[in-house]
Amino acid sequence: MADITLAPPTTTRKTGFKDFFAAIGRHRGLRHPKIRLALLILVPILVLTALAPVLPIQKPLETNLRAMMQVPSIEHPFGTDKMGRDILSRTLAGVQISLVVGFSVAMIALMSGMVLGTLAGFYGGMIDRAVMTVVDIFLAFPSLLLAIGLVSVMGTGLVPVILAISLADVPRFIRLQRSQVLSLRSRAFIDAARTINAPQSWLMTRHIVPNTIAPMLVAGSIAAANAILIEASLSFLGLGIMPPQPSLGNIVRDGQTYLEQAWWISTLPGVVILLIAVGLHFLSDGVRELLDPRSRQ
Amino acid sequence: MNYQAPVRTTLLEVRDLRTEFQTPSGTVTAVDGVSFSVERGERVAVVGESGSGKSAMAMSILRLLAWPGRLAAGEVRLDGRDIARLSEGQLNAVRGRLVGTVFQDPMSSLDPVMRISKQMIEPIMRNLKLNRQEARDEAVKWLGKVGIPEPERRIEAFPFEMSGGMRQRVMIAMALSCQPRLVIADEPTTALDVTIQAQIVEVLKNLTAEAGAAMLFITHDLGLVARFAHKVAVMYAGRIVEFGRVEDIFARPAHPYTQSLLGTIPSTEMLKSERLPQIPGLPPDMRKPIVGCAFRERCGAAHDRCAVEPPVLSERGPDHSAACWTDKGLTDSISLKPKSSARTNKPFEPDGSVVVELNALWKQFNVSRKTTVRAVNGVNLRVHKGETLGIVGESGCGKSTVARLLLGLEKPTSGDIFISGLAQMVFQDPSASFNPKMRIGDIVAEPLVVKSRGAKLERDEAVRRLIGQVGLDASFIERYPHQLSGGQRQRVAVARALALNPSVVVADEPTSALDVSVRAQIINLLADLKHDLGISFVFISHDLLTVRYISDRIAVMYLGEVVEYGAAEEVFADPRHPYTKALIDAVPVPDPVIESRRSSVPLEGELPSPLNLPRGCAFASRCPIATDLCRAEKPTLPTHELSRQVACHYAV
Repeated sequence: MADITLAPPTTTRKTGFKDFFAAIGRHRGLRHPKIRLALLILVPILVLTALAPVLPIQKPLETNLRAMMQVPSIEHPFGTDKMGRDILSRTLAGVQISLVVGFSVAMIALMSGMVLGTLAGFYGGMIDRAVMTVVDIFLAFPSLLLAIGLVSVMGTGLVPVILAISLADVPRFIRLQRSQVLSLRSRAFIDAARTINAPQSWLMTRHIVPNTIAPMLVAGSIAAANAILIEASLSFLGLGIMPPQPSLGNIVRDGQTYLEQAWWISTLPGVVILLIAVGLHFLSDGVRELLDPRSRQ
Repeated sequence: MNYQAPVRTTLLEVRDLRTEFQTPSGTVTAVDGVSFSVERGERVAVVGESGSGKSAMAMSILRLLAWPGRLAAGEVRLDGRDIARLSEGQLNAVRGRLVGTVFQDPMSSLDPVMRISKQMIEPIMRNLKLNRQEARDEAVKWLGKVGIPEPERRIEAFPFEMSGGMRQRVMIAMALSCQPRLVIADEPTTALDVTIQAQIVEVLKNLTAEAGAAMLFITHDLGLVARFAHKVAVMYAGRIVEFGRVEDIFARPAHPYTQSLLGTIPSTEMLKSERLPQIPGLPPDMRKPIVGCAFRERCGAAHDRCAVEPPVLSERGPDHSAACWTDKGLTDSISLKPKSSARTNKPFEPDGSVVVELNALWKQFNVSRKTTVRAVNGVNLRVHKGETLGIVGESGCGKSTVARLLLGLEKPTSGDIFISGLAQMVFQDPSASFNPKMRIGDIVAEPLVVKSRGAKLERDEAVRRLIGQVGLDASFIERYPHQLSGGQRQRVAVARALALNPSVVVADEPTSALDVSVRAQIINLLADLKHDLGISFVFISHDLLTVRYISDRIAVMYLGEVVEYGAAEEVFADPRHPYTKALIDAVPVPDPVIESRRSSVPLEGELPSPLNLPRGCAFASRCPIATDLCRAEKPTLPTHELSRQVACHYAV
């Protein structure tokens, strides 16, 4: 019939690795200015962190009593602390912890938010009421306060910190997922699938969840940035990662006492925290703009 | 036509108007060199499909274009003043005072948190220099004129307390209350039901005539144009392609596009065995530059010159011009009829078996503990094999609920639904009925996957066959819904509906979201499938001309009941229920001669609330022949077996 426009057969499905990398290079995500800026900040930090074990610097826990409180120099780019430990090395180790915390929290919050939010939004009724009552109670507390409370119950260390921050973040994800599911549930394509008697598990996995992922990813990257800040705050307060294990928060705390004599101990790791947070926020902002249908043509 | 030539003084003169939109992919010239003029007291209709630039043109006249739109060039002279050169302050005096506007969506064009009085009185005070009490009296007077009952009380209402039709009346009252010289109405009745549309059109027509105001009426409905306009401007791809008096445009259209548009509307005399003439192809992509005539790819009469030079408007008679290089446009030798206009292959022979049967179907929705919406009240219907049943009625009459019950999307409160085989659905809005993350191939295959029919290879084969059956080629399988036009998506919806070999396909307003030129393609497709495959259809629509063309039988619904049922031709030729009569009268016919002869007494009032239904006949409150008997006792539809059923005490 008439409104046929012939298009060349699409071959994008079967391509070699070369084409794959070329496609990534051309991807409009990489041309987005905010994403570029984010990568410009984050990639060097990531690369340095990954290379930390092979860099010609002191190990993070190694002390050197002949080089205490050194000003930043070629040998110690971030200087040293009161025990002669290399701040750069400690900072990179802290970044590693930060990234583990950020990524784990985002994944845990994303996954559990997705499951619980989908169930609550899709089934409604009792399930919805039960889930949302708990969510509303959690949301009544600021997340840092909640995390402090949870850590004080669960104890300090990496795993409790991750769990505490995740638990404080999950309610937000449930809320977001549930609101998305509610609006998708009434869309015509759900009705269309119901007319062929598609089972509910099919509706959820094939029609609802794939359409909720993009906004959840954006929320996930914001949550990662916040989790890094909260972990730093907890460690700064002495509730997170315990010394001598370095974390950005406890390095800053260590240096706080010597701010007047050795500004670099607190300031430089602080700047790194700032850079990571800013980078992740730009990234999530860029991803959000990229995924916004209004910015598409 | 009752067209008395008014004193020939030009009120609005538009010359070489160009409007541009800056988009990330380049500049779109939405209006590309439009010139025309409107005389005092004249009603000019601007006709065009979506994207033709008709609304952008109207907005440019008032400089109301929102960013990224921009009035790039041209001159707009209103009463001798060039609008394009006025300051924003001077413009505000023009808007409202000299030009009144009525927009399409009455739901969003009134401020939801302001009472009607506040929205109306202040502009009147400012523009007519009246004090508050005088302005209030004036506002009440206008609300009464547009047919708002109890205007003194209703003026204190908030917009959400009024129905769509009432809000549109308020918009009209606001537009006219400052006694403008020109009223610009952008699709003012598109969102409304036919009977309400007929009322609104009548109000607009009478009041502008009374006030001596000219009118620029933007629409895509050629029937409305015939009913309403003195002159017509047909727009295509940002240009006026034909301009002239309404009689000339309908009787002697000169541009192939106008001719095609008029041809695609099913006429009342048309035989069902004939295919609707259809315009091939799609409107051009306005983001790309257009070389030559924008219509040439869809035009049967296009020749070499059309590809090089864009045609300009040239004289075709008194007050009639068209932009086409040919003299007469499409002639009989190059007609727009499809090659096989009549269906030649042997039609499917109905054997009289019943495919769908609805017995005493009731559906109630509990809105809250106390209130119940009675959506469907005792409907009995049958659909035979290979038959198309058309269900018509205003919004809120329960026709879509019947469809949802039939498909099992809702459970009936009481009554039985019997379906032999499977019912499938084609939805109204092709942009919402597909999962945006799925490829077309997966969308069409989904029913097969869910029912685990066939292996992967067999399913792929089935998808290719189905896609071909609805007139698309295999390259569509890999695409995503957003890469398709509305018409193509509706074809995919049909292919998917056919995947499980259903015995009945329910189509709920399948063409109402499509442009006129694409609509005929989908109607032809559905009619072909019915003819070739013997599938039964339930066709739900408010477009009575289309329903008449495609249906064998028609059920007219009012407030959840079937009030008339019978063969399509009979119901249209001889409507017996007063509501059916009113509905058919309300539908504008694309012929100015017929329209001028028709009585212009539209059905009064609006659909009563389904929250508390009247005891007697549901239609009694609007019926011109209702008596005390009707209000006391409910007329019922006779039993199934009759071929013609009317629920009215006074049916002839």
